[in-house]
Amino acid sequence: MHVSDIGVLSLVLALAFAFYTIITGILGARRRSPRLVESARRGVLAVAFFLITASLSLIVSFLIHDFGVAYVAHESNLAMPWYYTAAAFYGGQEGSLLYWGLMLSVFSAIFALTAKRAPAALVPYILVTLMCIETFFILMLLTVSSPFVRLPVAPADGIGLNPLLEDPGMLIHPPMLLMGYMSFSIPYAFAVAAMLSGKLNSDWLRSIRRWTLASWSIQTTGLVLGAWWAYHVLGWGGYWSWDPVENAALFPWLAATAFLHSTMVQERRGMLKVWNLFLIIAAFALSIFGTFEVRSGLISSVHSFAYSDIGGFFLAFLAIIVVFSTGLFIYRLPKMRPEQEFDSPVSREGAFLLNNLLLLGIIFATLWGTLFPLISQAFTHQTETVGPPFYNSVDGPLFLALILAMGLGPLLAWRRTSMRVLWRNLSVPALAAAACAIILPLFGVFNVWANVGFSVCAFTAGAVIYELWRGVRVRHKHGEAYHIALFTLIGRYRQRYGGYIVHLGLVALALGVIGSFFFQTQQDAVLKPGQTMSIVGYQFKYFGNYEETGSGTDTVKAILQVWSNGQYEGTVFPGRVFYQNFANQPVSLISITTYGLTDVYVYLADWTGASQATIRVFINPLVPLIWLGGLIMLIGGIICWWPEKRKRGTGAINRPLRAPQNTATREKREQAPAAPRVPILPAQQGDQEAIV
Amino acid sequence: MKKRSLLIVIAVIAIVAAVWSFAMWHNPPRETLDQRVQDVASQLICPVCQGESVASSPATIAQQMRAVIRQQLQAGQSEAQVIQYFKARYGPQIVWTPQWQGFDLMAWLVPIALLLVGVVILFYVLRSWRAAVPTRDPPAAPAPGDDADAGAINRAPTDDVYREQLERELAAEDPIFAPRRTTGMEAR
Repeated sequence: MHVSDIGVLSLVLALAFAFYTIITGILGARRRSPRLVESARRGVLAVAFFLITASLSLIVSFLIHDFGVAYVAHESNLAMPWYYTAAAFYGGQEGSLLYWGLMLSVFSAIFALTAKRAPAALVPYILVTLMCIETFFILMLLTVSSPFVRLPVAPADGIGLNPLLEDPGMLIHPPMLLMGYMSFSIPYAFAVAAMLSGKLNSDWLRSIRRWTLASWSIQTTGLVLGAWWAYHVLGWGGYWSWDPVENAALFPWLAATAFLHSTMVQERRGMLKVWNLFLIIAAFALSIFGTFEVRSGLISSVHSFAYSDIGGFFLAFLAIIVVFSTGLFIYRLPKMRPEQEFDSPVSREGAFLLNNLLLLGIIFATLWGTLFPLISQAFTHQTETVGPPFYNSVDGPLFLALILAMGLGPLLAWRRTSMRVLWRNLSVPALAAAACAIILPLFGVFNVWANVGFSVCAFTAGAVIYELWRGVRVRHKHGEAYHIALFTLIGRYRQRYGGYIVHLGLVALALGVIGSFFFQTQQDAVLKPGQTMSIVGYQFKYFGNYEETGSGTDTVKAILQVWSNGQYEGTVFPGRVFYQNFANQPVSLISITTYGLTDVYVYLADWTGASQATIRVFINPLVPLIWLGGLIMLIGGIICWWPEKRKRGTGAINRPLRAPQNTATREKREQAPAAPRVPILPAQQGDQEAIV
Repeated sequence: MKKRSLLIVIAVIAIVAAVWSFAMWHNPPRETLDQRVQDVASQLICPVCQGESVASSPATIAQQMRAVIRQQLQAGQSEAQVIQYFKARYGPQIVWTPQWQGFDLMAWLVPIALLLVGVVILFYVLRSWRAAVPTRDPPAAPAPGDDADAGAINRAPTDDVYREQLERELAAEDPIFAPRRTTGMEAR
């Protein structure tokens, strides 16, 4: 018996338990039997256990180099270091499906373990929905796309991972992104459960929010890491090329972003019930669409590493999801009586609606562009290509408007904002934007669009920082030092200020995008030893090439000295690596050096012998801000997500969270007519007041 | 007082507008030949690469194509003519972006149209929502919240108004605490 046989066996058992969970779950919900639901809950844990076992058996097969397994022989070889060998687990199609299924089962298990927090009536339906999705993946893994298929004769060595994938990025980007795709299943399961059970009040939304925040944070990380990887490996000086597969990963992220914002409107104002259901269904359907698109090879893409016939199954699955969800949606539509009362578009909810409109606009425009080659093929029999310039000119302004709305939102109050208050709140960020617009040309930024973009960023950053500053100042006046005030402010109202931090991160990211989009400069030169090329203040002196031989690899590197305005900055070694099994696919070693906020990106385009090289240099201003922004967004997401202490906590941490709220509500009730002077007290005082 | 702040607003807007229009006129974009070559090349797909434009590809054919673009631009051809030339030679797939003509127009117009439709729908939805309100809170009458707000501002310094708003929002911010808050109220 081979290790891989354990994998097959585990998959079969996982399938059996998934079926069991579906049946007991439905029965438990129908008969309102807590014991059956409890049994279904444990069934989910069993499914997770067997999928973990299956995944472990695949990883072990990789690590012991069991080339009798076709997938292992295809994705790994003896020369690969152990960590890439283990990462090859999700390097190909079969393994990545297993990873998807694994993560789904693990997340389902986490849900099952924390099910007490979710509305009890929804739990069985959520479990059933999750296991239905899981069943699809296990069936795929057992039939058309099994990673455990054995070869009749085991080869002595395997082929190995595509060299492009043998990169540190491989260790984190694909697992994050796939996990992100997968994690939209949980909010979707909540939505389906809410519709199935008919409990369509806001309960499901509250439980869902942290799950969606987690999905969103994971997906954000996955996307930024993908951009970072592309930037460091591909050698075209950019990080995002609007490739169909990149777009596919962006769709669920955009839908989830829209959802996270519009749920706030439902929670606060009871509006947008139908819309929120639609958004969460759309996020999940789009993530399945993304998985389908990557695998079907339907639209040509740089990422199509896994052409196969399983696209059809995914399309069928997608169709089932869409038909089922839409049917359920229409069936429940009469029950979703809106209880909205909308006062004024100049309000927080108005800003959220604008945000949703823009996000949906971006999704539609991008989806349209992605599918346009197929559409034009169908109508005119000519496959048109839709490249980055299209997306830049359509999505760019929409994103800019989104950033503007992001700055406006926090300045507006719920329900309505009077012009006076609006003006008062608006003046500081507007002045920041105006100052930015006027100052930039003095620093040589003459491009109008870049100027507009930077000014909008200044507006939004100004608005967010001003908000933070005012909160901090209020606390400071009550005797807290500034830095403590900032920390308590963020620590107490994590949702609000975590969100602001995410916004700041996005502004930083936008600055990086605008900077590199408008001010990237590029130069190619064929150099002989001793020759110099120069580009916007940087000079590169070439000294020749040298070769290195490692285990299973050959490396060519060029030697270049970097000078900045006559001052020596360092020596860089851009090169190429040849892997044994992929001799015609050399991987670039790109030299990226960061000076302040500018990246100097040196790429060895071509070379002859030891004494000639074609060097391509990009000067990419502000690109480091993109990675910084991504990091800030992740931190903000985690702050939003971070669990509040529950009752079991020491109480000291628990109570202050409520204290100011209690006082505020109380004061509001009691002395509503007068302008209440509610002090935000330091924690202990607030405590006492709440207790008194 | 009010007049002065209005003047400031107008002045700031005027200065910003002046700066932007100055930048627009002062610096006509894509002036040099290099930039024009880059501009045309970035609209063409490198035929032998995957997902790279002629501008960014290091492949030999892309270099040759850039040389051809340079020659033709130097010979006085317009950018559209050069693109047309490549389209005639390599087929329509060579062009990276849909052109502003024929069926390709759909690529551009549909997203714009959808966005406009979205705006219109949003407008009508908002109107119907607002129309549903009057039973509670007639919008035609001066909104009471507005007055209260304005009054509060007149009486209290900005900080207090802001703090009040902040507290009110924070209090209602987190619905996780909402049920507990009501129980707290009941307990009292």
